[in-house]
Amino acid sequence: MEAEAAMAAAAAATGAVRVEKVRGRSAVTRCFAKYPLKLIAPSKAGRASSGAAWLYAITYGGGIVSGDIISCTVAVGDGCAAAMTTQASTKVYKAVDSKCSEQVLEARVGEDALFALIPDPVTCFSMARYHQKQVFHVFPNSNLVVVDWFTSGRYESGEKWNFSFYKSINHILLEDQPLFIDSVLLEQSSNFSIADRMQEYNVVAMVILLGPKLKHIQDQMQDEVKKMMSVQLRPPTSAGGRYSTRSQPLHPQRPPIIASCSPFGRMGTGMVARITAVSTESVYSFLRHHLAALEPFLGACPYPAS
Amino acid sequence: MERVMECDYPASKKNKVVHPMDCEMKEEPTNAASMNQHSLWSQWQLLDSILPTGGFAHSYGLEAAMQSRMVNNPEELRSFVVQVLENTGSLLLPFVCCANKSPDAATWVKLDQLLEAMLTNEVSRKASMSQGSALLRVAASVFTEIQSLQDLRQTFLGSKIVSFHHAPIFGLICGLVGFDSETTQRAYMFVTMRDVISAATRLNLIGPLAASVLQHQVAEDAERMVQKWKDRGVEEATQTSPLLDALQGCHAYMFSRLFCT
Repeated sequence: MEAEAAMAAAAAATGAVRVEKVRGRSAVTRCFAKYPLKLIAPSKAGRASSGAAWLYAITYGGGIVSGDIISCTVAVGDGCAAAMTTQASTKVYKAVDSKCSEQVLEARVGEDALFALIPDPVTCFSMARYHQKQVFHVFPNSNLVVVDWFTSGRYESGEKWNFSFYKSINHILLEDQPLFIDSVLLEQSSNFSIADRMQEYNVVAMVILLGPKLKHIQDQMQDEVKKMMSVQLRPPTSAGGRYSTRSQPLHPQRPPIIASCSPFGRMGTGMVARITAVSTESVYSFLRHHLAALEPFLGACPYPAS
Repeated sequence: MERVMECDYPASKKNKVVHPMDCEMKEEPTNAASMNQHSLWSQWQLLDSILPTGGFAHSYGLEAAMQSRMVNNPEELRSFVVQVLENTGSLLLPFVCCANKSPDAATWVKLDQLLEAMLTNEVSRKASMSQGSALLRVAASVFTEIQSLQDLRQTFLGSKIVSFHHAPIFGLICGLVGFDSETTQRAYMFVTMRDVISAATRLNLIGPLAASVLQHQVAEDAERMVQKWKDRGVEEATQTSPLLDALQGCHAYMFSRLFCT
C-alpha cells in the first residue's frame, strides 16, 4: 500500500531526484522532470574532489504562470552531499482567475548527508498569487541548508509589494516529529497593505542551518550578525522623545538590513537567520559571505559574484 | 478538596477538565446565575493587569523597533501595535482557540510542542515560555478551586517534554474560568494590546492618557482581526509580519534595554 501511494505521488510529481553514493562520490542516480519544470545536473558544477552533486531547477520562460503546480521530490542518500539552486530569480506572473502558482518540494536527507537548497529569490509580479511548501525529513545527524527568500516585485521599475498573495511554508521533521515549522503569509488586506507593513524594505530572507557539520558556520553567522546589528541599534536621543520641541526628520536613518539569528531544536542543533533588507544585492552579499564556508562540502561557493 | 467544598457554588463538576460545557447545562437556573456571578470575578481577575504574570517585562519588539528608528512617533506606534495584533491573531489565536476547545492534558501537550517548533524566533519563544509558566503558576495559586489546574501543574512541573507556552495555557485557563471560545480569543488580543501599549508608555513614546485613547481606537482594528483569525485550526497558524519577526529577534543585540524581550 505504501509503495503504491509513493508511486502515485511520484506520478503526480513534476520532478524527482535521487542522489546516491557511487564509487565514493555523490551521484545523481535519478533525475526526472516534466513541464513546467526542468532539472539539470551538470557533472562539473563543483570541484570534483568535494564529491557533491549539483542540481539546477529551471522553469520554462523563467517563471511560473498562474495555475502552474510544480512539485518535486529529492532524496539525498546516507553520506551524500547535494546542492540545489536556480540560475535566476523565480518570477511569478500575474494570477488569472485568482489561480495560485504553486511550488511544492519534499526532501529526504539521509544520515550524515548534506542538502543545500540555495535558490535565487522568488519575485512575485503585480497581482500574482504564490504558494510554496517545502518539507524536509531529517535524521539527528543530517545536515541541511535552506535559503528561502522573496522580493517586493520588480521594485526597480516601481512595482513594490503589489502582488496579491504570498505564502511560504517550511517544515523540518526530525524522525516525523516537528522540529521547525515556519509559515509566512503576506496578503493585501483592506486596512493594511503589504507595502504599509514592509515600509522601505524590499527583500525578506530566511536562512536555516541544521546539523553537526554546520556548527561553525552557525556560530560565525550568529557572532557577525550580532556585531552588525549592535551598532545599528541605539536608544533615541533625548531630542526624539515626546516632549521634544524641535521637529525630527520623518524617517531618521533606518538600518538598510535588519537581521537576527535564533537557535532552534531542544538541543539547539539548528539555527535560523531572518533578514529584511532594502536591496536584493545586499542580501546576495550577505549570503555569499556567510555561506562561503560551505565550499569544502559543495566544491563551489554558493551565490558567486557574477 | 476541602477548599472546593468551601466555595459558594457547586464546584464539583464544573472544575473537571473533561466536559465543562455539558455540566453547565445541567445546572439549575438559579445556580447557573450565581455561578455566573462568581465566575465573573475570576474572569476579570484573569485579565487584570495586576495579575503578576510578567507581561510587562515584554515589549513585543517595540523597544527594538524604536532603537532601529522604525517607530518614532505615535502614528508609527499605532501601525506597530496593529501589526503586532495581526501577527498575534494569525499565529497564536489558533493555539488559544484549540486549547480552549479541548482542555485536556494530551491536547495541551501536543499544542505546546507544536508551538515550540513554530516560535522560531528565540526572543519571542522565551517570552512565550516565561509568560506561560508564570500564568500557570499564578492561576494555580489563585484559582485553588480548579482542581485540574493543580493537577496540570503537578504533572508537568519540571517536565522536559513541555515548554509552557503562553497561548495554549491562556486558552486552557480561560476555558476553566468559564470564558466561551470567542471571548477567550478576544481576551488574548486584549492582553497583548494592553502589554504593548503599556510598554510604549514606559518607553516614553506616548503619554498615559494618549495611550488610553490609542487603546480605545485600536480596539476596532483588534476586533476586525479577531473576526478574521478566530476559530482556526493550528495547521492554519502563520506569521504575517516578517519585518516584525526580524526586528523582535534583534532585541538581544541592544546594548542598553529596558525590557526582557
